[in-house]
Amino acid sequence: MSTGLPLEGIRVADFTWVGAGPFLTKPLADHGADVIKIESKTRTDPIRSMAPFRDGQSGINRSGYFANRNSSKRSICLDLKHPDGKRLALELIAKSDVVANNYTPGTMERLGLGYEAVRRLRPDIIYLDMPMQGNSGPHCDYRGYGLTIAAASGLFGLSGYPDRLPVGTGTNYPDHVPNPLHGAIAVLAALRNRRRTGQGEHIELAQLESTVNTIGPALLAASAGQQTERAANDDPVAAPHGVYRCAGEDKWCAIAVFTDAQWDALTLALGAPAWASRPDLASPEGRRNARRELDVLMNSATQTWDADRLAATLTTEGVPASAVLDADALLNHDPQLRDRNHWIRLDHPVMGPSIYDGIPYQLSRTPGRLRGPAPLLGADTREVCQDLLGMDPETFDSLNQQGVVG
Amino acid sequence: MDGMVVTMILTPAPDGPLEGIRVIDLTTRLGAYTGRLLSDLGAEVIRVEPREGAPERNNAPRMEDGISFSFAFTEAGKQSLIADSSDADYAVQLEHLLDTAQMLLTSEGPALLRARDLHPEDVTDRHPGLVHVSISPFGLTGQYADRPASDLTLLAAGGLLGLAGDPDREPLRAWGNQTSVIAGVHAAAAALIALLSLESTGRGQFVDLSVQEAVAHSLENAVQYLDLEGVVRKRVGAGPAEAGTGLFQCADGWVYLVGGLGGRPLAWESIIEWLTAQGVNEARTLDADKWQERTWRRSLEGSTAFRQIFEKFARTRTKQELYESGQGRGISIAPVAMPEDLINDPQLVARDFFRTIDVGGNPLRFPGPPYRFANAYVGPRSGPPALGSATESLADVDAAADLGYERTPA
Repeated sequence: MSTGLPLEGIRVADFTWVGAGPFLTKPLADHGADVIKIESKTRTDPIRSMAPFRDGQSGINRSGYFANRNSSKRSICLDLKHPDGKRLALELIAKSDVVANNYTPGTMERLGLGYEAVRRLRPDIIYLDMPMQGNSGPHCDYRGYGLTIAAASGLFGLSGYPDRLPVGTGTNYPDHVPNPLHGAIAVLAALRNRRRTGQGEHIELAQLESTVNTIGPALLAASAGQQTERAANDDPVAAPHGVYRCAGEDKWCAIAVFTDAQWDALTLALGAPAWASRPDLASPEGRRNARRELDVLMNSATQTWDADRLAATLTTEGVPASAVLDADALLNHDPQLRDRNHWIRLDHPVMGPSIYDGIPYQLSRTPGRLRGPAPLLGADTREVCQDLLGMDPETFDSLNQQGVVG
Repeated sequence: MDGMVVTMILTPAPDGPLEGIRVIDLTTRLGAYTGRLLSDLGAEVIRVEPREGAPERNNAPRMEDGISFSFAFTEAGKQSLIADSSDADYAVQLEHLLDTAQMLLTSEGPALLRARDLHPEDVTDRHPGLVHVSISPFGLTGQYADRPASDLTLLAAGGLLGLAGDPDREPLRAWGNQTSVIAGVHAAAAALIALLSLESTGRGQFVDLSVQEAVAHSLENAVQYLDLEGVVRKRVGAGPAEAGTGLFQCADGWVYLVGGLGGRPLAWESIIEWLTAQGVNEARTLDADKWQERTWRRSLEGSTAFRQIFEKFARTRTKQELYESGQGRGISIAPVAMPEDLINDPQLVARDFFRTIDVGGNPLRFPGPPYRFANAYVGPRSGPPALGSATESLADVDAAADLGYERTPA
């Protein structure tokens, strides 16, 4: 029974947890790979205990933070420190194409599940480590979280108002964008190479190295002796270029003016205020030089506008603009996301119908889809042990009683 | 020691995992990182440019001799073919070129694509064995599909802008063109899924990627917070307010310390021992019971009291000293690194992360690839191409074929 999904037939033994790793295996799962999460009953994935929770009540099967990153996957619980648990993990790996983990360096080796051990079993395995700093080097044992990786990689320090402390992106950006998705790209490229050559691959994604690439141009500038500073919402050439106050509580519109035609359209839409015809603002260079003053003038002109109406008016005239959308606007009001059916509601056995992020792209012939909600902890242990690994029910029950499987 | 120096274009590089794949890159800045990722992995990526060069060649900031840093970064490893839409045979030549490729990358909305006869539905009709990766601000369908957009406005439309910044100031853009990164990583993943399908079935297709949706996929848990708990997350400055966690001033900038999460202390004893060993006598007061309590840890008083004690010590040390001595004690602390710190970072240097590549006579240190493959060469192979590096013009496509650019059978 074919799903018609493009990654059907590929199995992933998924040892990743917390933030970055599960967002790497999610696009694989949503496009048909059989992603089996190997979890622990006693040391549960910390993100299962992170808010938000259905109705605000905590519980290992109630976290939306966890659920959103784990659609379309299966979950089994194994005690990897027990010899039988380790044996089952190796049996699962032997039937898998990909092994992924984001533990600290040396953890998989101590469990007997490191690349060298796995390669003896499956020479063509695609094996991904994603340590924070790398498997080697003087800082390889350093510890951290999404925010410390953002700080150490430069993105945090460059994002902020020039007159204040840096503020970063307000999220654990490395866990949501560069690290999981660079990882997915690496795994997919290695799968392609394996089809061509029969060779497996050992991939090392050091989260620091991956995240550093998000500020690539600033590193080239530093290497050429040029300093890069925090610039808030400024653009190197465009002005006005900023986020301007609109009518209502904390309502804003982002506006970017790159060309003279956009400037003319902007000032016309704002009712041709007197400053619009100032000769010093007639060129991009002149506007850029006057950008601080322009920001003040813009704010006084936009503050009576509804942000959505201003964005609609400006974009109709060719000026890039958008209201600053919050979660309520995105989920409940934005007409474009509604037209595109972006948000997906999946019925979770404990959480009930819940919102998941949609896939931000659609393949025209072999589209992915969220095939199911996040798995309950250990929901698929029996099925995987019996149907995939060929264990008989009595053995399963016995191992279950000993706490080796669950 | 610097990494290997790669200068020549068309020099046979070691095999990458995408060996044999040709990609035609017609993207704007929004889509430019996609082709860079594919080139790093061994695909032959051909940037098609008008006679005067892609406008992105001039994007500020630039080197003294005019080379754009963002162009150098996103175009590294690509080749350049001149094809000018004013030429009478442009369309025919472009079609000919697409016949030799496995992938096409574009990053404009549907009306602009249609005007150039490059709408993905039409392109994949004409080239059934091609994967057309269409990156566009709002996707190919929907009422905003042709709205003009920029990095800033797409961060706003996708929701990331609203989560960043201080509450008393305007929402804040992440540095650089992060929409190019966000679009690029999703687009490259989608491109590879479509490539696997192409190589197993011989059938191409198009990928419709909306950058607004890709940004909306990067909001951590903000949408789930609303759905499950009815809470709309707002911007909160540099992060959660908790004693022991956040930015702290040091001698040459800031460090980011995680001494507590969710109201619970982390490595607290180690922090006290660390400060005490440095002669900060007040650190002993951090032993009091209240520092274990969530309400105290989350109070302004608590975080201010901790800050006074910690910064008294930190202000006399550099971020690198604090990083190494704190981490040596098992404490989660990181420097708020600036680019010039990173190019000298002991970890990155020890791992030969940077690769020195000649760009117009200037040796620039490029960050290495986001990942390392044990059995394949991955990473930037050359700097950005000189205009028309591959051939003089599209009229030479046949000559290009003679150079070994024939299409690899799917």
